[in-house]
Amino acid sequence: MTTDKALRQGPPAWIAHSVMIPLAFVSLFPVWWMFATSLRAENEIYSSLPWPASPTFDNYLYAIDAIPILAMLRNTAIYAVVTTIAQILTAVLAAWAFVRWRFAFDKLLFAVIALTWLVPFQVVMIPNYILVSRLGLVDTLTALVLPNTVSAFAILLLVQSMRSFPAEVLEAAEIDGAGHWRALWRVVVPNLRAPLAALSILLFISTWNDYFWPLLLSRSANSSVIQIGIQMFLTEEGNQWGPLMAISSLACLPVLILFVLLQRQVIDSFVKAGLK
Amino acid sequence: MTSQPLAPDAAAPAPQRAALTWASGQPLAPWLYLLPAILALVVWIYGPLGYAFWLSFHEWNMLPFAPIRPIGTLNYQRLLELPEMGQALRNTAVYLLGLLPLTVVLPVAVAILTHELGGRWRNVYRAMIFVPLIIAPVAAAAVWRWLLDPGFGLVNTVIAGLGFSPIGFLQEADLAIWTIIWITGWKLIGFSTLIVSATLANLNPALVEAARIDGATEWQITRRIRLPLLSPVIFLLVLLTMLLGAQWSFTYIHVLTQGGPLGTSNNVFYLLWQFGFGGLAAGWASAAAMILFAGFGVVAVALLWIMNRVTFHDN
Repeated sequence: MTTDKALRQGPPAWIAHSVMIPLAFVSLFPVWWMFATSLRAENEIYSSLPWPASPTFDNYLYAIDAIPILAMLRNTAIYAVVTTIAQILTAVLAAWAFVRWRFAFDKLLFAVIALTWLVPFQVVMIPNYILVSRLGLVDTLTALVLPNTVSAFAILLLVQSMRSFPAEVLEAAEIDGAGHWRALWRVVVPNLRAPLAALSILLFISTWNDYFWPLLLSRSANSSVIQIGIQMFLTEEGNQWGPLMAISSLACLPVLILFVLLQRQVIDSFVKAGLK
Repeated sequence: MTSQPLAPDAAAPAPQRAALTWASGQPLAPWLYLLPAILALVVWIYGPLGYAFWLSFHEWNMLPFAPIRPIGTLNYQRLLELPEMGQALRNTAVYLLGLLPLTVVLPVAVAILTHELGGRWRNVYRAMIFVPLIIAPVAAAAVWRWLLDPGFGLVNTVIAGLGFSPIGFLQEADLAIWTIIWITGWKLIGFSTLIVSATLANLNPALVEAARIDGATEWQITRRIRLPLLSPVIFLLVLLTMLLGAQWSFTYIHVLTQGGPLGTSNNVFYLLWQFGFGGLAAGWASAAAMILFAGFGVVAVALLWIMNRVTFHDN
């Protein structure tokens, strides 16, 4: 694999930079502008200065005063955490069934699970809505979580991770007398910590950002999620750009902090997910 | 990507204790493990799919005590004759085709032009272009509406500074749909680029080196070696855009234009929403959903079929 340096040269570095700098700018600037606007004083909102001249939290205070943002953030956090845990649990169990056994209709069942991504949410939203309203759960966090307890994508990803697990270790574990249940929790799951963590981050972020289902279910501001909070400011008469950007920033901040802390894992998990 | 497959039979050790089985001798355990997932899928996806199919042949206004009347295929007939439906279908096609340059062409070009960028810079750029993907869609809609505001938005301030009159990106009938396409694409450019880059990094370098030794130019290498080797991932991105593209724009349509002005930015997904929850017409909305589901199923099968025949595999 050792190659002559001259032979490895692709496009020169300046081309790469001149492509990447504008792309990075377009990607980041709107996010920067959101935070910058959110920190501007009222008389400075229309300024084109790239940063706030005298940063203030007035917009945040105004938004928190206008709608129950803290309750919404709490609801969103509960929704995202509980959904993630449920999806990981159902996926670990289901994936183990596919990896550990060969049984009647296993291929068919796997295909049926894989095909769920062909069913757009909009197709099942009316029946789902009717079902939760019959259960009397409209406007509750339970109703938000319930239809999201299984993620076909998580199952597919974990089947792949478990298949790459060395067979000898599993055999050894089960010969030692551990049943399949203990082999799963004592041997397989602890060794899948990295893919499980990556998957959890991905599921958490997508649930945090979920908007359709909460939109259908929310009746009162106190029991809805932060995405609905942003929408309340967006559709209001007259544009209050400062508070709107403040609440948008609050909705993005947890995910961005997670991203800054775990950048590598987040990117890898999304890219791997895309490739699968 | 290809991991050593663990043959399930090899994993199951021979000296098994008496395990629970069905009467037929089939093992029971895997079904118990699968139970929660199957239950959830039946209750929330496949059951509802069947129910929506059934509803599509009925008329119902979604009120609990209102009667549900069977009306045969009338919902389908009315839908296909609806002027909004034609417009929404055309717009859906515009959304999908309009997204392709942002989710496929540009990412492939950027990935190829930047694939030899080394170490630290690579990671910095990767992190920066990834950010739009994880921004909440509603927040993205809010910030783009602010940037593009005809009165005071930064983009129009710059346009005015250059001496042009401000542009109503979301207000003008022939522009709104393109603005929504741009916002949808903005969230996905970086992500698609990273997917293509990851594939590019895994290609066998020997092929490119051999071509270089033979005196091939960069363009020839890209045209004859890289693009064919990238064809599976290009197809994957096309497939993703085709199946999910119109769906991704739903949030932006809902919070930014509500399908307007005059339905020019409406697509099938949003029309469905308007029927179902705006018009309280469960039967209509379900019929539209079924047409949509069938349409996308056909597109998916067709794309997968083409993908298997056309793409080039390096073995």
